[in-house]
Amino acid sequence: MYLKELSLINGASGDEGRVRDFIKRTIQDKVDEVWEDRLGNLIAFRKGTKGNRKILFAAHMDEVGFMVTNIDEDGTLLFAPVGAVETQVVVGKQVKIKDSIMGVIGFKPIHLQEKDQLLKPIRYEELRIYIGARNKEEAQKMVSIGDYVNFVTEYRQNGRRASGKAFDDRVGCSVLMDVIDKRQRYENDVYFAFVVQEEVGLRGSAVVVEQVKPDVAIVIEGTIAGDDPGLEKDRWSTHLGEGPAVTFMHSGYVVNQKVFQAILSVAEKHGIPHQFRRRTPGSTDAGRLARTGPGTASGVISVPTRYIHSPVCMIDLEDYANTVLLIEKILEEGEVFAK
Amino acid sequence: MNTKELLVQLSNVDGPSGFETLVLDVIEPILQKFCDRTWRSGLGTLVGEKKGSGKKKIGIFAHADEIGFVVTKIEEDGFLRLETVGGVDPKALLAQRVKIYSKRKIVSGIVGTLPPHLQKEEHRSRFPDYDRIFVDVSFDEAASEVRVGDVCVFDVKAIEVNGKVSGKALDNRAGCASLLLAAEFLQRMKHDSDVYFVFSSQEEIAGPGAASIAYELRLDEAIVVDVTHANVKHSVYPVIKLGEGPAIGVGIPVDYGFYKRATEIAQKHGVKIQTEPIPGRSGTDTDQVQITSVGVKTLLISIPLMYMHTPVETVDPKDVEETARLLALIAAE
Repeated sequence: MYLKELSLINGASGDEGRVRDFIKRTIQDKVDEVWEDRLGNLIAFRKGTKGNRKILFAAHMDEVGFMVTNIDEDGTLLFAPVGAVETQVVVGKQVKIKDSIMGVIGFKPIHLQEKDQLLKPIRYEELRIYIGARNKEEAQKMVSIGDYVNFVTEYRQNGRRASGKAFDDRVGCSVLMDVIDKRQRYENDVYFAFVVQEEVGLRGSAVVVEQVKPDVAIVIEGTIAGDDPGLEKDRWSTHLGEGPAVTFMHSGYVVNQKVFQAILSVAEKHGIPHQFRRRTPGSTDAGRLARTGPGTASGVISVPTRYIHSPVCMIDLEDYANTVLLIEKILEEGEVFAK
Repeated sequence: MNTKELLVQLSNVDGPSGFETLVLDVIEPILQKFCDRTWRSGLGTLVGEKKGSGKKKIGIFAHADEIGFVVTKIEEDGFLRLETVGGVDPKALLAQRVKIYSKRKIVSGIVGTLPPHLQKEEHRSRFPDYDRIFVDVSFDEAASEVRVGDVCVFDVKAIEVNGKVSGKALDNRAGCASLLLAAEFLQRMKHDSDVYFVFSSQEEIAGPGAASIAYELRLDEAIVVDVTHANVKHSVYPVIKLGEGPAIGVGIPVDYGFYKRATEIAQKHGVKIQTEPIPGRSGTDTDQVQITSVGVKTLLISIPLMYMHTPVETVDPKDVEETARLLALIAAE
């Protein structure tokens, strides 16, 4: 499992270079071919023994984060989210700018807030990053407009659980790297795409189909759980510990029935615990792969992940292991997509 | 002592109001090096005594406690509810890691948040208050150790931000650090007054820590060292700036003569200071200490601090050092 390393690497959408380098370095001797495309996607290929069809697995390398948008006269930084980050999770956090400069995001102290301000939602324009600069000139020597900003979060494991930042979708990247590590050769040709810019409109995956021309694609995600007291139980999406989640539809895409049934049949045949993603908001690269070029029949398998798009996400490691297992079994059942 | 390292060390140790022992355990061995003797009061306050010629008794106070939380409810599936110890903005708590001090183990928790995908207008239009905020301890195998009444703190390690130090509890560990540095300074100075360094408890809930020890010691004078809001414009007050030296309070809970003396000493020795007007309660231990026994002549010195009561409280070590220098100069005068 490479989740620890991947979680600690900073790589918001458009800044995936460090993630890509790590993955490339780790997998390049274990696949037949690996290349970087024009947009920065990393695509690996392992030839099949029969080569009847091409199966594509995709996970996105980018994470949500921020960008420095302006520098204030007092030396603090204005910033905007890259991808969907609610201001609810931003106050009181340590951040790193351009992977090197430490900063903190505070807020007007509680003592100085009006009573009605306490539970009022915050707008990004009210927030600043403090980097210890006395004024604009000093700040300009340290950072530039356009620099990326990431949360600073230690990775931790305890028993069955792991927590850290960027699990959406470094969990997916790690799962695919584990599959590559098995060095197994299957009947079908297998492609592994580690794509860029998913969090900002499913952009990287848009150019993968043209390069690979897959028959089937499966996207691996760290998906919304919501199984906590923040929601009524009947509104929970996935449950940690109940196995990989299979998506039947999400925003903008109803999963191709052939792929959906193929995934389920393999899970059932091999007795791998699995569940459905029971809420439909949010989208994945499966939607993009399906509407690119001639269109690819795509499915989604996810590791249920609590508190995604926040600095501290959490997964169950059994769910993770069962996701790796499910993918291996899908690949072993070479003809499952022929039906 | 290296000020930055001391600040980091004191920030990282946990001690919400009424639970200061771990903090005092870090402070006491350092204090012992610079004092004739140290002891702890019945209410959990640490005192270091440094005898002069007995001309008068001066106490230098810093509260050792920090804001925090207490577990109020344990729910099914590994979730807890909290209430605050002292004032904590709920906005600073979401998506944080916390530590819960159960009897046998420290349990790690996460304050969970709803992902944007599942949020509706009702979630976005109002910040969750403590009725809605929950802690997820399912992460920790020792979660079942947690009991109602266990204390809880932000789980964050202090960092350096361009020469400044940022972390939790620097309100008032910055003050504690300045007392230790002042005691070290005083080693090399001759002083007539008996000096008492007091690390008090329960300031964040306006508790009895400081006043009771001021009574016990029969002090003539007291200097309270706390923190004040830096780099923020509010109401009619001047902006106190980080890195521009300690802020000396002038007003109700402060003895005017003592204030004048402090500013003159600062001027004479080139200690850069700022002035903080206090037209009423100060919200520090000064309020209580002043009216103890037959009255104590008080001075309030505040270290500028940004983002008070959040996990990213930020101070400039230079301000802490200058505060310490001024304290030693006043005590030795």
